[in-house]
Amino acid sequence: MMHSIRAVAVNTIRQAVRMKIVAVFVLLLLVLLPVMGSAMGGDGTLKGRLQTFVSYGLSLTGFLLCLLTIAVSIYSLTSDLGDRQIYMVLTKPVKRYQLMIGKLAGVIILDAILLFFFSAFIYSITLAIPKFTKTSPEQIDRVNDEFFTARASLRPAEVDVSAEVQQQFQKGLKDGSIPQRAKTDRDLYGRVIATLTKEAKKDSRSVIPARELLWEFNNVKPANPGDDLYLRFQYDVSKSPHDLKVTGKWIAGDVRKFGDKIDVPIFTYESRDLIRTYQEIKIPSDVIADDGYLGVVFYNDPQLNDTVVMFTEEEGLEILYKADSFSWNFARAALLIFCRLIFLAALGVFSATFLSFPVAILLCIVVFFTGVISGFIFDSFDSLSENMGTLYFYTVRPLIKLLPQLDKANPTGYLVEARLLSWAALGRIAFFMVALKSMILFLVSIIIFSYKEIAKVII
Amino acid sequence: MKYAIETLSLTKVFSDWWGRNKVYAVEELDLKVEYNQVYGLLGPNGSGKTTTIKMLLGLLHPTNGRALVLGGDGRDTNISAKIGFLPEESYLYKYLNARETLDFYGRLFGLPAKVRKTRTEALLDMVGLTAVANRPVGTFSKGMARRIGLAQALINDPELLILDEPTTGLDPIGTRQIKDLIVQLAKRGKTILLCSHLLADVEDVCDMIAILYGGKIQEQGKVRQLLELSEKRQITTGHLSDKALGDIEQIIRHECSEFEVDSPMEKLENYFIKTVARAQQEKAKTSGAVSTTQISSFLKNRSGSEELLDKLVSADVSVSEKQDIGANEQAEEEKTQQPQTDESMLDKLTSSDQEFTVETKQVEPEPIRQIDEVNEDILDQLMGSGDTSEIETEDERNRGDFNDA
Repeated sequence: MMHSIRAVAVNTIRQAVRMKIVAVFVLLLLVLLPVMGSAMGGDGTLKGRLQTFVSYGLSLTGFLLCLLTIAVSIYSLTSDLGDRQIYMVLTKPVKRYQLMIGKLAGVIILDAILLFFFSAFIYSITLAIPKFTKTSPEQIDRVNDEFFTARASLRPAEVDVSAEVQQQFQKGLKDGSIPQRAKTDRDLYGRVIATLTKEAKKDSRSVIPARELLWEFNNVKPANPGDDLYLRFQYDVSKSPHDLKVTGKWIAGDVRKFGDKIDVPIFTYESRDLIRTYQEIKIPSDVIADDGYLGVVFYNDPQLNDTVVMFTEEEGLEILYKADSFSWNFARAALLIFCRLIFLAALGVFSATFLSFPVAILLCIVVFFTGVISGFIFDSFDSLSENMGTLYFYTVRPLIKLLPQLDKANPTGYLVEARLLSWAALGRIAFFMVALKSMILFLVSIIIFSYKEIAKVII
Repeated sequence: MKYAIETLSLTKVFSDWWGRNKVYAVEELDLKVEYNQVYGLLGPNGSGKTTTIKMLLGLLHPTNGRALVLGGDGRDTNISAKIGFLPEESYLYKYLNARETLDFYGRLFGLPAKVRKTRTEALLDMVGLTAVANRPVGTFSKGMARRIGLAQALINDPELLILDEPTTGLDPIGTRQIKDLIVQLAKRGKTILLCSHLLADVEDVCDMIAILYGGKIQEQGKVRQLLELSEKRQITTGHLSDKALGDIEQIIRHECSEFEVDSPMEKLENYFIKTVARAQQEKAKTSGAVSTTQISSFLKNRSGSEELLDKLVSADVSVSEKQDIGANEQAEEEKTQQPQTDESMLDKLTSSDQEFTVETKQVEPEPIRQIDEVNEDILDQLMGSGDTSEIETEDERNRGDFNDA
């Protein structure tokens, strides 16, 4: 069994290489990646340059490999069918599913080789950029802390605003701002409560001048106890300052023990930073309490700011700490791209079993780009189909869920923000994208192909 | 299992996009091909020959009826491991070279590496493509593609060989070589289903023929029985004097009134082969293929090519999946190194072939003998040494006797 699968797989790779399909992509990347490495400056800082190169380099590689995978997986089978080489293969002791597995394996092996090669290429250029860039030691330290690392994230627990929301609801009913029928109309009640909850949450994350806001984190336990922490946040304001900056006064430590006499390490920080831009503050690890507690306080100084400072729900505020190395994170990011490629290879083989080359290419590219904006697609369908209820839930929704959610598993996002892509997260994505979706597609394609009349003629 | 190929009311209807039956490509076909037979499927274009083959091999689903190959379904891998198939065109991977092409098909059969290599080289030699073995087959002429197609059909030493229009695109010499090869393979116990609309090809090599038209068998039977004009007699002699002719005429007129004296015509195929061979001997310049007699020389040269053919037919590759690969490789190595072992296997094969050979001779049409004579001449001219006495086969000796007569 294995010999025929192996023979077909090797032949598929030969086909892709010798028909110069691979050569076009390889040449493109070999030219573009070094150019990008030397030309892209980002925001002018070393970190910005590295972020830009990794982001564009890995995205471009991933994108081109996705297109290559679609083209090769479809062409391999449709050309065999169209040019009839399959007559001379399927009349040998080769089962049809073996041919399919061989084709898929060939594309996946080719992907693995190319991805390994280009990932190593990008990785090498990334490591080389700081060595060939004139920069300050501070910049080097900064990229080591904020780029060449893999940081886990802790977010504060959601504030429970339900009691406040109910209070506001009752108050609204009394003063007439909320109609009385909201008490009986479930739909209206739901919408009013949702609006009030949103407002309350926004208020809970807003700091008026001369007030402070506290976030509490538990189980803050860096992999290496001596490693620094990073507070990552983004300011938003009710009224934009003239220089678009806000001065933040930050305190971090075991704020539970604050009293007249503070006897625990406290970290304080003050800086004026741009609004609506991510900022990071390095916090020493010794401010973490023994039980893993860490309190972070923001004070809105009325002498320095004359606006309400808000921390939105989406961008929020989080504590980052080193959990793994950049190298391993990069390897996992490459594996994440590999999961995409496996899915697209299965999709390509699937579509080639019943569609001609141009139609199959069109289908796969549509699915691919839909996957890239899957969040928008899902939200759109969910909102448009609100009134369709059960019918939508059991018919269209499962089909839509079969689409890959490529935007939710963006490998460059992890590397650019030096955010940990854990093995568990990778495994979860691999399970859904490869073990579940790809396998379903491939099994269906085997069933279709097993019953396909290879030499069928339509009169 | 009495039949190597058997179809039972086999029917194939091609339909349109709406599923409406449009064309009856094959209708109620009952075909029976016995083992060790060369069976010719004749018919004009669109008569259902290729459709029948495709159903036998599982490339098409029968609309009705059954198609049995070697007692089972053509899609069964245990069955297809024993089949060699050459489609109506050599559908080859253009980017593979000739050697890689054979190696690829050898891998599909699960042949061990050493067996693959041995058979690949032997087949390349046999079809005369050793010199271009590293050239992509996409650059091959139609004739060369046909040769490599034939080679791939033999890579597994098949029990059953299905050849669809095997001589299409070949020049007369190539055509002749393929026909000679078919005869030789048949003598070695292979069953061959030959599908063609070239009547001369079928007439020259087949034991049995069926003529298809409109998807139905119109006539079938042994070639000699179908073609023999039993009410007429033909005597071929050397030059006769007018007196002798007069005497013979008197005798014949006494028996019946029909009498015709004429010099027999040589077949154009033979004439062509002789002319080209002469030109090659004179080293005339040509931009076309030059070395196109490999199969003939392969078949004629018993000391070398018989050994080669032995290698090709004696390797037990059909059960290679079940066998220990290491043992298989060792066995093949022994075969390569010790031709004596091959000879003993060949003896076994030929001892059972004898009856078959005799039977074949009964229906073997005359032109084959005549063409073989031409081949000997060509070989003598091309190889520069006519001394093949040491390796002369019994058939050749018979032919010699025939020529002398």
